Amino acid sequence: MNSRRGFLRSLLFGGSETSVVTVFLRGGADGLNLVVPTFEKDYYRLRPTLAVRKTLELDGRFGLHPALEPLHGLYKDARLAIIHAAGSDDDTRSHFEAQDLMERAGRPERGAAGGWLARHLRTKPGSRGAISAVSIGPTLPESLRGAPGACALLSIEQVALPEASPAFTKALEVLYAADGSGPGKAGQATFRLLERINRAKAAAAEGYPDSSFGHSLREVARLLKAEAGLEAACLDLQGWDTHFGQAASFEGLARELAGGLAAFTKDLGSRMERTVVVVMTEFGRRSYENATFGTDHGRGSVMFAVGGPVRGGRVITEWPGLGEDFLEGPGDLAVTIDYRDVLAEIVEKALGNPRAADVFAGYRPAFRGLTA
Amino acid sequence: MNLSRRTFVAGAAAASLGGCDSLYSSLSRKLAGGIPEKFSRPEGSAIDPDFLFLQRSSFGPAPGDLDRLRARGREAYLDEQLHPERIDDAPCALLVRRFESLHLSPGNLLEFRREVVEDELARATLLRAVFSRRQLFEVLVSFWTDHLNIFQGKGDCAWFKTAEDRDVIRRHALGKFRDLVRASALSPAMLVYLDGRQNHKERPNENYARELLELHTLGVHGGYTQKDVMETARALTGWDLKHKWGRGTVEFHADRHDDGEKTVLGTRLPAGGGAEDLERLLDIVCRHPSTAAHVSAKLCRRFVRDDPSPELVRRVAAKFTETDGDLRETVRETLRALEPGAPRFKRPFRFVVSALRGLAATTQGKREVRQYLERMGEASFQYPTPDGYPDEPEPWHGTLLWRWNFALAMAKGKLEDARIGLPLDAPESLFAHLVGRRPDEGEREALSEAGGPEQALAMVLAGPAFQWY
Repeated sequence: MNSRRGFLRSLLFGGSETSVVTVFLRGGADGLNLVVPTFEKDYYRLRPTLAVRKTLELDGRFGLHPALEPLHGLYKDARLAIIHAAGSDDDTRSHFEAQDLMERAGRPERGAAGGWLARHLRTKPGSRGAISAVSIGPTLPESLRGAPGACALLSIEQVALPEASPAFTKALEVLYAADGSGPGKAGQATFRLLERINRAKAAAAEGYPDSSFGHSLREVARLLKAEAGLEAACLDLQGWDTHFGQAASFEGLARELAGGLAAFTKDLGSRMERTVVVVMTEFGRRSYENATFGTDHGRGSVMFAVGGPVRGGRVITEWPGLGEDFLEGPGDLAVTIDYRDVLAEIVEKALGNPRAADVFAGYRPAFRGLTA
Repeated sequence: MNLSRRTFVAGAAAASLGGCDSLYSSLSRKLAGGIPEKFSRPEGSAIDPDFLFLQRSSFGPAPGDLDRLRARGREAYLDEQLHPERIDDAPCALLVRRFESLHLSPGNLLEFRREVVEDELARATLLRAVFSRRQLFEVLVSFWTDHLNIFQGKGDCAWFKTAEDRDVIRRHALGKFRDLVRASALSPAMLVYLDGRQNHKERPNENYARELLELHTLGVHGGYTQKDVMETARALTGWDLKHKWGRGTVEFHADRHDDGEKTVLGTRLPAGGGAEDLERLLDIVCRHPSTAAHVSAKLCRRFVRDDPSPELVRRVAAKFTETDGDLRETVRETLRALEPGAPRFKRPFRFVVSALRGLAATTQGKREVRQYLERMGEASFQYPTPDGYPDEPEPWHGTLLWRWNFALAMAKGKLEDARIGLPLDAPESLFAHLVGRRPDEGEREALSEAGGPEQALAMVLAGPAFQWY
């Protein structure tokens, strides 16, 4: 009966649930240059050419890369939290292994098959609508593997009945309205969804970066503002694998990330109160720069969280240090906060799923006071 | 089954003379093309009982099926369907024969590209569901595929699933339950999927043991304890796959087997059982009364109604027990209990296949059609957790939008790989043919307002009535 109640609730209130948007920085983003430990002499010693020397002040210890300037305001408004020296326990330093592991958030043993967002959607009480979870792109990411009502969209224009004439749509709607069964109600909810999407189509906001990432953020914002029942969205920002000439590409990516998130936050307005955006990457980069002015695969990196339920304006970290004794393996920032601590707190506290333990089966997360 | 790769390549080359795709598409047209000049449509205002019987024992009636069933009588028809080897299915076999990977051993499968293996099995699964005359067999294959779920996304399961589909599910779908479970337990796919190969005496892995009891045999309330799970895991230690030479071959390592005494569900397995522990364990769990009840309840839900009465489940379970888990007789007993007035919500796969069958469509099972299944979340062998795709309606309610789009695209001829073979006659007659009863007043109105014969067909396929079976 839970699902029926969920349905009624969504019909009556048009969605009062909090949604999560994940941004995956593919390739292993250099956390040390995104959020700089300005108090670490070793940082400047290890990165003679790549060190970011002028940063935006955060908490006296860390500074933001200047290209992340649009995030600085969100931080100062206590809406953005930064989690540093975060990552997974995977030490293969392989993109695919580390990304897969992170998106599954667990070894695919009992209860941990499929992606973590799929498990969240499957364990969360209530029923899921036609588009409860989306990724903007040609395929579903690993984190949504096995999710009910998940779909990969290129744009929300695809949530439509392109071959249906108005007369057809009307007649079909009448048929479903006359059907009192569960599917009949689901049909009515689907027509409601189409109406909402139609209204949202008109409202495409400005200010997003002119890129595939910017486009994706705008599509997700349209779905969220339409109150179309979207509970989870997955976005990618590619290109962080900066082995060569890091400075050339890194700044543009950082600008795209920050500009996109700032535009998204502004676009969503009050809907941001019921939204959490979490930014993650499969691993960070080596503490020292290499001979080709880049950085190689490392371990710990940075995560960002922004949104209504987030207690922002803080850098949450158990800083491991950059001295020789503290670095891991070939010279990497150690991971002192498991990424699942962050995700589990979001799932349980922000998204209200009482079964976070099943979502991250086999891992006991430590909450870090990320949420209000 | 042990055809060499070379024979197959030669066979495929011969078959491809004159253009493979056109040959197969004319073949599939011929298969579907058995559209009789005249065939009956259900005429009542409630679902025709023969139609219902066809719906439940197949992936949906094709033109002429109703007449064939009525000519033979229900019992004789059921008996024939329960003996698929007696049904000539050569045309369908020819359709799927071109998929070389379907015929290979687990080890040889590993030589193929993953995408090829996954694609061929998914295509074959759809083609068989649409074109096989052994419809009940295909429906049972789908049932046991859910029951003993394998997820192609885990490890080498993408390759091993193909062998498991053939050697476990298809080989035993109408055989003895214990043989089915034994074949599953010792399949490379299951050993990988539920970590059986990691189950050593020093570090037992309970994953498979738990699902064997909870999902495959006794059921979650079947009366086993955590201790039984641990003891079951111990009895199953030592089974692994060869790593290097002969990859994909299952072998028993006595040195990794826990050879001490075990007690499972109150029955003692004496020390020193070795590989025989598996046999004793299977005797215990497959013949346990909870297993008969659990499997029977699932069959009744799938074939009879969402909420089968305890009496019905008991009757089917009694047959299961009395025949020592003979699945043919258990399914016969189940299907005899069909009753009107308990419609079930079609899952996406059945929705698509029943439309293709009902309209005598030609298809080659290409991505164009299968991507609708992906979008609706029921792509074959892509369900991550061992409980298999859900059988209850609620998780599928969110798929209506994509069903409507499929209905419109197909009816308007926009799908290249789903060409309708049936002439579009009067909408009301088409409705009866596809739904199993005459349209009511509201439905007649919707059909007439749809805007032409194609739209009317789309209205039938998209409407609430066609979502049930």
